[in-house]
Amino acid sequence: MKKPKLLWLQSITCNGNAHSFFNHPELFSILSHFELLYHPLLDTEYILEEVIKTQLACDVLILEGSFREKGMLKGGVELSTVVEVYAQKAKHIITAGTCATFGGVFKEADPKNITGFAFDIKEKTKRHELYFSKLISLPGCPIHPKWLSFVLLMLAKEKDIVLDDMFRPQELYGITVHTGCSRNEYFEWKVDTKGFGLKEGCLFYEQGCQGPHTRGSCNKILWNDASSKTIVGTPCFGCTEPDFPKTALYMTQTNMGIPTTMPLGVPKRAYLTATGIAKSFKIKRFEERIIKYDG
Amino acid sequence: MMVKKLIEKVEGEAELDFSFKNNKIDDVTIKFGFYRGIENILTGKPPRDALVITPRVCGICNHAHLIASVRAIEDGYRSVGMKVNLTNKANDIREFTLACELIQNHVKWFYLIILPQLEKLLDQQGEENHALKASYLSSTITKALAIFAGQWPHSSYAVPGGVTCDPTYVDVMQAESLVDESIKFFEQIMVGVKIDDILAMDSVLDLPKIGGDLGKVLLLLGSSGMAEMGKSHDRFIVFGECLCFKIGKSIPTQVSTIDTNYVKEERQKGSMAKSVTYKNRLFEVGSLARGMIAKEPMVKALHKRYKDSTLTRIFARVYEMGLLISYSKQLLKRLNLQEESCTFKANNRPMDFEGVGVVEAARGSLIHKTTVKDGLITNYEIIVPTQWNLSNGNGEEQGVSTKAMRGATSVEEASFIFRTFDVCSVCTTQ
Repeated sequence: MKKPKLLWLQSITCNGNAHSFFNHPELFSILSHFELLYHPLLDTEYILEEVIKTQLACDVLILEGSFREKGMLKGGVELSTVVEVYAQKAKHIITAGTCATFGGVFKEADPKNITGFAFDIKEKTKRHELYFSKLISLPGCPIHPKWLSFVLLMLAKEKDIVLDDMFRPQELYGITVHTGCSRNEYFEWKVDTKGFGLKEGCLFYEQGCQGPHTRGSCNKILWNDASSKTIVGTPCFGCTEPDFPKTALYMTQTNMGIPTTMPLGVPKRAYLTATGIAKSFKIKRFEERIIKYDG
Repeated sequence: MMVKKLIEKVEGEAELDFSFKNNKIDDVTIKFGFYRGIENILTGKPPRDALVITPRVCGICNHAHLIASVRAIEDGYRSVGMKVNLTNKANDIREFTLACELIQNHVKWFYLIILPQLEKLLDQQGEENHALKASYLSSTITKALAIFAGQWPHSSYAVPGGVTCDPTYVDVMQAESLVDESIKFFEQIMVGVKIDDILAMDSVLDLPKIGGDLGKVLLLLGSSGMAEMGKSHDRFIVFGECLCFKIGKSIPTQVSTIDTNYVKEERQKGSMAKSVTYKNRLFEVGSLARGMIAKEPMVKALHKRYKDSTLTRIFARVYEMGLLISYSKQLLKRLNLQEESCTFKANNRPMDFEGVGVVEAARGSLIHKTTVKDGLITNYEIIVPTQWNLSNGNGEEQGVSTKAMRGATSVEEASFIFRTFDVCSVCTTQ
């Protein structure tokens, strides 16, 4: 069987998605299922000057970075026209990262002209209609290496990936970042952390954690096979969401002491009832340090 | 005669215009195409948002941007009289994760750029997949980083007063084991001698002892005459007080102190990158500069014989990997987990301040400046290492890398010299 041809193109980006994926421990066995036409870090069959002539065949197109119709040139050629040709040829288009999917950080530099490939934050761009049958969205700033490898291997093995209404694989984005967080007990009993630098306490109430309303499996499939933001006490900044980045990221936005954004799908009344009961108990274990070093 | 060349896979692309005289390269103009406007994006945001936004300048040195931006805020807090004292633990954890990122950078540059490009240049290509080695060590060492910082790329775990993590000895042991794995890789694959032995070298006569892939590169450089090429101004500067580095500037005869107020940025015609000078003079930054200013014996010995050539530049960077791996092991050993991770608990954060944060990133000194009024950023400036090394000069003097390329006999030779500086297109144009 002939291997599918894989083309990785970059637009307005920091290269973080390419570097994130480069750290995948099985990088080369995953790529061995494909004929790699072009990649921003690896030595490939073609050089960029050949790619931008748009003569190559392409089965799987990976897009990294946000888009603008005019003014983003590669080797003197308008990149949007190059992308358009390969998008038509490809059987699958993967938008790798939040920039390529929704616009991301760089959109803020020129909100009118910079967008994601098929979405402008949540709005559909004109490309949405042209390519919706081929799209797979993998938002995240950066992309999680294991999420991309899952999609690539499913495609290589010609298996169906179940997507949601924004073309995100449900297996990866059907849960929230909160799922599997090592601080879950503190969330359940509404015990907030006493500040940064502690393994105890939940970051949702004051430190700005968006884990409960952010789609992604960061705490199920750990980062660098090791950890995640919330495990190390950093709030989740909602980097997989269409409106990333919001502002005042290290503070929870509250109204009368109640977080403005509810956990995903949870009605405010249900949240208030549950937390009202939870916080009426004082549970000794959750007030103490987990490890008590001598001295 | 003029020749244009698109240099790709340098964290984006760079366009070089070469002009030849008597069959040798006489001058080069370097152009970087796209400006993303990170500094403008930060305007109007609360100061700590910079800890999340600035790592997105660069996918390969994001962590250095995080550390520079947290230092800028801490400097600003201090400047208005707030006490920000980090514990040794917090300081050492930051140093450790920064060291991991530098190691990750160095190994990628060596295996994705230097070794394959040199083999290509000299028509000595083999079947070996060098990228596999880069990926192996990069994923090993960034895993150690992520144990403390949560993830790589794009962690935001350094906050004013310390770090957000609260590691256990289980974490420290896992990180130590990953560092040990990196030492094994460095010794057996990269340099062919024990890490302590390479760090103890102090004479050109020691060079033949080096084996591994560095040994291979040194042989190729020596046998092709490339070893002597790529010389530039022979002036170095280091601003970042961190890791095992010393700050200062050096000209061939002496090392002296520096002040960031003399750093000046200027726009360049036809390029989105700004050039930067110190007292109107150009300086090289990066591993070679750090080795020269810290007076590392082996770097000094090579410099004495080869000056600031490709050989000294490449050696200094691989040698620095050894320094950093061994330093990171010491850091983990001395961590006292009973100390606080973050000492800054004040709810009343200052609303108006100006701060400067400086750090040594893989490619050299990185400077962040933040100005905050009424609790929001009004101005943010980022000066990156590659602006020093890859500028087109200031009219009076040629740029550092352009001068190094001068005299090369082909575009291919010059492109290799250019890459010894480790080009980072996305940083250069932010």
